[in-house]
Amino acid sequence: MTAATRTATWTTAVDDAPIAVTTAGDLVAVAGAAGTAWILDLADGTPVGTLTLPGGLLTLEFSPDAAHLALAGPTGYGLWRRSDGRFLNSQTGAWSNAVRWATPDRVALASGRRALVLDTDGALQWSTDPAPSTVTDLAWLREGRRLVSSAYGGVRCHERHTDKPVAEYKYLGSHLAIALNPNGRWICTGNQDASIHIWRTRDGDELTMQGYPDKISRLAFDDTGRWLASDGAPDITVWDFSGKGPAGTSPRSLRAHENVTALAWRPGGSAVLASAGAEGTVAFWRAALGRAGGLLRPANARELPEAVTALAWAGPDRLVVADYEGRVEAWPLPDDLAL
Amino acid sequence: MTSSATTMDETEEQQDTRVPVTVLTGFLGSGKTTLLNRILTEQHGLRIAVIENEFGEVGVDDALVLDAEEEIFEMNNGCICCTVRGDLIRILGALMRRRERFDRIVIETTGLADPAPVAQTFFMDDEIAAQLRLDAIVTLVDAAHILDHLDEVKPEGVENEAVEQIAFADRIVLNKTDLVTEEHLTEVARRIHAINAPVEIIPAQQTKVPLTRILDVHAFDLDRVLEGDPAFLTDTEHQHDTTVTSVGIDLPGELDEQRLNSWLGQLLRTKGADLFRSKGILAIAGDDRQYVFQGVHMLLEAENGREWREGEPRRNRLVFIGRDLDRETLNAEFAACLTGARA
Repeated sequence: MTAATRTATWTTAVDDAPIAVTTAGDLVAVAGAAGTAWILDLADGTPVGTLTLPGGLLTLEFSPDAAHLALAGPTGYGLWRRSDGRFLNSQTGAWSNAVRWATPDRVALASGRRALVLDTDGALQWSTDPAPSTVTDLAWLREGRRLVSSAYGGVRCHERHTDKPVAEYKYLGSHLAIALNPNGRWICTGNQDASIHIWRTRDGDELTMQGYPDKISRLAFDDTGRWLASDGAPDITVWDFSGKGPAGTSPRSLRAHENVTALAWRPGGSAVLASAGAEGTVAFWRAALGRAGGLLRPANARELPEAVTALAWAGPDRLVVADYEGRVEAWPLPDDLAL
Repeated sequence: MTSSATTMDETEEQQDTRVPVTVLTGFLGSGKTTLLNRILTEQHGLRIAVIENEFGEVGVDDALVLDAEEEIFEMNNGCICCTVRGDLIRILGALMRRRERFDRIVIETTGLADPAPVAQTFFMDDEIAAQLRLDAIVTLVDAAHILDHLDEVKPEGVENEAVEQIAFADRIVLNKTDLVTEEHLTEVARRIHAINAPVEIIPAQQTKVPLTRILDVHAFDLDRVLEGDPAFLTDTEHQHDTTVTSVGIDLPGELDEQRLNSWLGQLLRTKGADLFRSKGILAIAGDDRQYVFQGVHMLLEAENGREWREGEPRRNRLVFIGRDLDRETLNAEFAACLTGARA
């Protein structure tokens, strides 16, 4: 496809290489690798404001009510309040790789080997004891009461009443990213050793999906918890967790990219996945089509002139994408996918 | 264990635009901080990023200084010595996502750090291997104190880090040569070459060494393996005084590919933990091109090199640097891989 066939609702430019996009309510925020985040109006892409973390940015996430934005980077983290523009900038010197809101008034941040839970004034509610390495990713279980963190050696679960883990899932190796099945039944991690490791939370029963050519840095469940998508190869793989889970099954392979840079499920559970690649493709997939072990082609694909580095859904019918040169676009869901 | 054989055509080799990464190592007091400051402040017009283990350096214009705390990760793939540096993976990963480009990256490690996980990170992580190129391991040595470090008796099972750092090096900057006698220098050079025969020693005073001799020198390029034919084959006489040595092999003839693969595979599987570095240029029977390899512990990178020239005698040169190497066995086993040798 050519650029002319793109049907962006709006296009805007930011002056950095975007590494993450987050959306909530009527806002979009784009993180630039060098440390500046641009907050945009979701309706038309108009800049609302900018924030800067001096040491660079690694990720950012809006609170679910869009009232706050948490930012994290190699030397610290920041917290922005929409009502008056207050920006709390905490230069801890520690590597902050992950941000996850539990509720509109509580956020977890990775900070070096610990995870911190803060209120919206940046006050520390509680924190975890140190993990064996820098914390790589975070997720919440049990309506935001149990915090799951990954690091070298496995996954640990913490709750407020104790800084020691309330549950530990150990497996040798460097765990880079977490995906939790929404009903809490499965904990999955993407690994440096090019595998996906899966624990059944009920009894800790383990499963490893091997044979990927590259490390797994991105993996995500759809809202129903049935489908798990991941990188680790030019083809995205999608495992089916229905019934007894994926043991003994084969994944679907989704072929469009040379190098996967981002993937995100459409909210709501339609099994539609959006993905992006370093070659500049944004692809939309109907991941439930075909059969286990089968090869899927995109339901819809578009090209950008540069490597696409980040994407995020803004509700079920709009996707925001960003490329390496700082082009940010909002696209409506392609007609052929709107069911 | 991982081994890969790829055929790279020459245009691809010429277009290697990956950023060269220098690993700078050496003991406290060897002059490493002075050298780092020189690299950062000298008028070379290069954008340099430095990743260092110890706090304290000040950032200067046109340079980025990042701090790293060593995080060594084992891999769950049955390769016992395939450790990587998790801190470098995340720091370099974040650096590559920036729009700002660097001409050189220097990774400083402390004298106590094991160089193997640093080097293996560049073999094991695809994201890093795609954009960055391990250029050379440069070890800074204090001419006045290195013999004491080498002779230090360690408890059973504990590595002498000075020996290890010399064994892994592609270049050794022999610093403070003005503080010792000529005889002492000769002895230091002899001891260094007994451990690491092919290494290039660069003498220096106050770490004054031309940066072009340590940055972007392509020591890890397969097409430059054993370039310049260093004297690594000289059978150094006093090898009983150290368990870490170099074994060089130079044999005319052509190799039976199957026998070579099975021998090399077996050697890496069983001796990989003791093999710090290995390099070679080989002649495979029926192949017009040289077979070039380079390895760190169990990890081996190999590809087809240049074509053998018209009338050029086929020969096989390789070197192993490692612990408790049995020269005679290695020689005999390698000779058995030659075509015409009795299987």
